[in-house]
Amino acid sequence: MMNTHRAVREVFGFFLCLGRKTGKTRVFALLGLVPVALAVVVRVVLHGRTGDMAAVFTEILMVFFLQFYIVILALFYGTSVVAEEVEGRTLSYLITRPIAKPAIVLGKYAAYSLLMFLMVAVSLSLSFFIMNAGRLADARLYLTYLSYLGVLGLGILAYTAFFSFLGTVLKKAILVGLVFGFGWENVIQYFPGSTQKFSVVHYLKSLLPYRPMGGGGGGVALLLFRLEPTSPAIAVLMLAVIAGVFLALACWVFRTKEYLYEE
Amino acid sequence: MTAVIAATHLSKWYGNVLGLNDVSLEIEAGITGLLGPNGAGKSTFMKLITGQMKPNIGQVTVRGRKSWNSPVLFRDIGFCPENDVFYEEMTGWEFVTGLLRFYGYSASEIKERAAKALDIVELTKDKDRLIRGYSRGMRQRVKFAQAIAHDPEIVILDEPLSGLDPLGKRKLIKLIKEFKSEGRTVLVSSHVLPEIEALTSEIVLVHQGKILAQGDIRFIRELIESHPHMISVRSSDPRALAARFVGDRSIQKMSFGADGRTLVVETHKRDDFFGCLTGVVLEGGIEIEEISSPDDNLQAVFEYLVGK
Repeated sequence: MMNTHRAVREVFGFFLCLGRKTGKTRVFALLGLVPVALAVVVRVVLHGRTGDMAAVFTEILMVFFLQFYIVILALFYGTSVVAEEVEGRTLSYLITRPIAKPAIVLGKYAAYSLLMFLMVAVSLSLSFFIMNAGRLADARLYLTYLSYLGVLGLGILAYTAFFSFLGTVLKKAILVGLVFGFGWENVIQYFPGSTQKFSVVHYLKSLLPYRPMGGGGGGVALLLFRLEPTSPAIAVLMLAVIAGVFLALACWVFRTKEYLYEE
Repeated sequence: MTAVIAATHLSKWYGNVLGLNDVSLEIEAGITGLLGPNGAGKSTFMKLITGQMKPNIGQVTVRGRKSWNSPVLFRDIGFCPENDVFYEEMTGWEFVTGLLRFYGYSASEIKERAAKALDIVELTKDKDRLIRGYSRGMRQRVKFAQAIAHDPEIVILDEPLSGLDPLGKRKLIKLIKEFKSEGRTVLVSSHVLPEIEALTSEIVLVHQGKILAQGDIRFIRELIESHPHMISVRSSDPRALAARFVGDRSIQKMSFGADGRTLVVETHKRDDFFGCLTGVVLEGGIEIEEISSPDDNLQAVFEYLVGK
């Protein structure tokens, strides 16, 4: 039997090839063009204005990326890691191969995470640099861009792991995921004290470049509204733990659970 | 001969529905036909063998190893599922090569094996088309190709002939028979009697989750003591032949065929009857043109066993 590392790599290759050709990927890639189009419009409107307004709109774009785009991507790709195989009855092709079942979850998770990251990276890069075209000489701009990209990457890993786990245990994982992604996450992050730490987005926002409300940063802290940030190191650790734990749980459930096709 | 696949008191249920009920059987090398109506439990049995399902009671082993969560077994097992489902966005070539990646072959070996498998099922010309655009027969063939591409010793085929045209069926039957001559174990399911009959005489009859009978069709026929064998003898003078048989205790009933040249005999003791028939032939006077057993086929056996 193939060792797990190689098996994960092969599953990764299989689903990266498949994933880039699906209709779902085309739809979500198109969705990624929305902020790009918005950036073009704003750029035209802001022509000749100072960089502060560009920073404001960049934050608005980040709300789209952080609280909508990566969540919806992770929801649809994460839950499909197992659920689409069961619903499409293609699971038989995978689990009758000489590879450990967890390798299927890990390989597919990795392939879909990379696919999502590429979509997000293209969309963010285009919209961010179009929006900030007047500040391209400012080195801090690139640091901000990289920190945004890193945060979104970590967000994809954590959310996708959680939704993958939901997909292994629930038949209607999408519905539960929607409630979590756009209900729980959107509400709990504004709770005071430590309650907001029960959301993934809290740790993602804790990693964003700090811009105090009405401070000298020059921007409105849309993303940091009511945030009581966790230190960056703890935030990264928590996101890694969330991803690791839910991925391990997804692997364990997939290995032990019997999946029956609905007649 | 050692059993390749063995089930012991195997039961599987889905909620309140019984899929398989206390099945114990052994399958040896060669072709075994799994026959039964839709919903009889054939696919459930195959999914248990291929480790896709976990038995509720009992166990199923392949080469002595339990199949649930034993991926190492699948190097030697090829499975062709019943459902007409695929990764539709892939081409036939991507589908077969993609699944071959899970066996640890080198890139060149994957290409070689995929090319061979697609050539066997005559899809070489269409290998670069999307599966979505394949006809039903082509889809069936590419599904078969993925099951045999890694050259498995044990081939499990769930309704492999469905959707194929007559020529395609004949070719696949020929191919499956070649597997037998190579010493492989092939388990084929079908609800179409002539399909199984064309493939093998070694059958397992499944009905309502139970094994009704297992073995050679003729052997199974022997088991049905409640129903006599029908033997049709065509001769130059069927009435004279009937007169010779009247005193024979092995014969239960005789009738004449509509063609006026056939005598149909019903007997519980087929061997005794053939002994008697041989005596008649040796005595001379009556020319025997043909001997056949009209109910010695799968349809008849199946109907008798399920009590239709």
